[in-house]
Amino acid sequence: MTFTRCLPTLKTTSLVTFVLFISLPLIQMTMISFVATLPNPDIEVGKLTLRNYSAIWTDPSLRAAFGNSLAYVMINICITVPVALPAAYAFARISFVGDKHLFLAFIALRVTPPVVLTLPIFQLFSELGVVNSVFGIALAHCLFNLPISIWILQGFIAAIPKEMDETAFLDGYSRRQVIWKFLLPLIMPGVAVAAFFCFMFSWVEVVFARILTSTNGKPISMAINALFGFQTDIGLVMAFTIASMIPGAILLFVMRNHLSRGFKIGKV
Amino acid sequence: MKERTNIGWLFVAPALLVLGLVGIIPLITVINYSLFEIFLLDARFWVGTEWYEDIIKSQRFWASFARSTLFSTLILIVQIPLGIAIALCIPRRKFWVGIVLAVVALPLLVPWNMIPFLWLSLLDPETGILGRALQILGWTPDWKQSVIKTWAVIIVMDVWHWTSLVVILCYSALTTVPLSSYQAARIDCAGPWQVFRHIQLPKLYNVLLMVILLRFMDSLMIYTEAFPINAGGPNGATMFLAVDLGEDIKAFNYGPSAARSVLYFLIVLCVAWMFTKAQAKLDDERSP
Repeated sequence: MTFTRCLPTLKTTSLVTFVLFISLPLIQMTMISFVATLPNPDIEVGKLTLRNYSAIWTDPSLRAAFGNSLAYVMINICITVPVALPAAYAFARISFVGDKHLFLAFIALRVTPPVVLTLPIFQLFSELGVVNSVFGIALAHCLFNLPISIWILQGFIAAIPKEMDETAFLDGYSRRQVIWKFLLPLIMPGVAVAAFFCFMFSWVEVVFARILTSTNGKPISMAINALFGFQTDIGLVMAFTIASMIPGAILLFVMRNHLSRGFKIGKV
Repeated sequence: MKERTNIGWLFVAPALLVLGLVGIIPLITVINYSLFEIFLLDARFWVGTEWYEDIIKSQRFWASFARSTLFSTLILIVQIPLGIAIALCIPRRKFWVGIVLAVVALPLLVPWNMIPFLWLSLLDPETGILGRALQILGWTPDWKQSVIKTWAVIIVMDVWHWTSLVVILCYSALTTVPLSSYQAARIDCAGPWQVFRHIQLPKLYNVLLMVILLRFMDSLMIYTEAFPINAGGPNGATMFLAVDLGEDIKAFNYGPSAARSVLYFLIVLCVAWMFTKAQAKLDDERSP
């Protein structure tokens, strides 16, 4: 049984290799971000510097991009979670006419590529007056965040025994009270995981963000695009990308135990 | 048994409303446009299914379709087993789990338009870590001329970007395996393969189905990341479905791009339908 004995070593080695592979581009990015990449009177090209990071602070458009990204992700989560919760409850607990088909429709919308819908969404949102604002992006991102949140939350609800609901019904609680008082506190980790996934998919999205913000409300990804030009300061681009990952990294660190505790993702 | 009542529609109504606004209304608009020749949005002519016929008959569409399908298949072949394997390798000690998951998920936080530039700078023959290291192994700076090398770069980039999602979802499914199952397996002297096959894999089925759907569709419609690597080249060898559509939209060909969009949505719908069929089959097997 040599294979079984080697297994722990093998596991650690493959994990370390994978983590190295993951970090390689990130290391490259960090290295470039600390180097001056454009000719400048104060500093030679190729010298170590913190200029790139201080430039993020001093550039108002970059700071505004940060604010915009945070704003639209927050708005998106505030729309997605309350809307997804009752739907997830319905899919987990209630059998109604057409439930399977509806779930298929939701999943199909999740996997519909945003490019397919760019033109009509732009027109529709122009009519509604939400282009060039964080609200428009927040709304457009519901297209993929809402189905994913419903899927995650319904897994969490399905993992809670039905008997709990039934006992509460027998005790005379209404459905709304059962959801609010008993179910919601139990699935709080699920809400956190769903919100985290919304953040993750929304923060880095490009296609909707581009068409919906031509003049105003540009998020981080579009601010990066704007940095590319005739003479691109790659150092600044890399530093800005790293800065843009910090909120997500903090969230990831806070969420790590929720993610690792595991969530039951089930069928409908 | 679930409760049988159509009150369920009341609960899904808000979601239906939001998705109707951002998904279903735009889709209907696209279907409408796809049947017209549009110069300006106010001046249009009915052309019926002409655009559809053009696309279906064009070599270009089928070539892109074949390329995208091949790409997605390769992505699944690499990412799914790799993701499962890494999820199995994550230690059970609580301290390390958090750290490993947090590090592994970092690629998911990089803005999508930066991912190709990150890899291009990594492969730079003069300043890139990988570019310099690979030169020793015979990797030449003119890799953009080679179809296979360009494909390899895009696939490795996608593996880097998305395997983490597979790892996170698989890992969270693995944690639902009760400890008693492992103990029972130890008593029966089951080997690691048997433990995986009979205890861990069944717990993964539902998650895997979803992950496969997400990864298949998202890589089939890869757009933002693939194009900047080599501008669809060499000789259009990396022009994928969504890249074609993006070019159409940029050229303001409303009618043809709408028809293309509708066709893509039909592909999406087919795959999603197969997914629900597979899920139903899985449920039947489990609860006979």
